[in-house]
Amino acid sequence: MSSNNPSQLLPSELIDRCIGSKIWVIMKGDKELVGTLRGFDVYVNMVLEDVTEYEITSEGRRITKLDQILLNGNNIAILVPGGSPPDE
Amino acid sequence: MSGAGEKGSTTKTPADFLKSIRGRPVVVKLNSGVDYRGILACLDGYMNIAMEQTEEYVNGQLKNKYGDAFIRGNNVLYISTSKKTLGEGA
Repeated sequence: MSSNNPSQLLPSELIDRCIGSKIWVIMKGDKELVGTLRGFDVYVNMVLEDVTEYEITSEGRRITKLDQILLNGNNIAILVPGGSPPDE
Repeated sequence: MSGAGEKGSTTKTPADFLKSIRGRPVVVKLNSGVDYRGILACLDGYMNIAMEQTEEYVNGQLKNKYGDAFIRGNNVLYISTSKKTLGEGA
C-alpha cells in the first residue's frame, strides 16, 4: 500500500526514518526519555543510546543518564522525532 | 522489516541488543520504579531475566541483595548497560 503511493507513510516507516537520530519518548505515566534511536521491533521495543531519563515526581524532576538501553514498548505513549528535551 | 539492516552497523534491533548483553553488568528498571543492578546471566524475548549478584535499589537506595534473581519480563521497563561497560562494548 504505502510503497505504491509515496505520500502514504506507515507509522513504523516514520520510526524507521528516525534510526540514528535523536528521539523523544513520552511514556504512559510521568516519565520521558530522550536518546538516539538504534533500532526497534514490531512491539516498538526500542534500543536507545546516550539516554536521558526524566521522571516527574512530587519533589520535582529526577534525571538519569544511561549508556544504552532496551526500552519495553509496553508503556510507550508518544514518539517525537528530533528529541527536543522536555522543559517544564 | 523495512528498516533493520539498512543503516548497517548503526542499527541495533532489540534482538541484537539482547544477544549482546549476556554476561555483562546491567541495570534493570521495573515499572514500579525499582532498580536491579547485577550481572545478566540470561534472558529471553519476553525480557524475562536471570541475574547474579543482584542489588535492589528503591529510590536510589540499596535495600536488598540477592545471589540469584529471576525477573518476570512483564515488569521490565528497560534493561540498560552499566556505565562501567561503556569502554568495552561500543
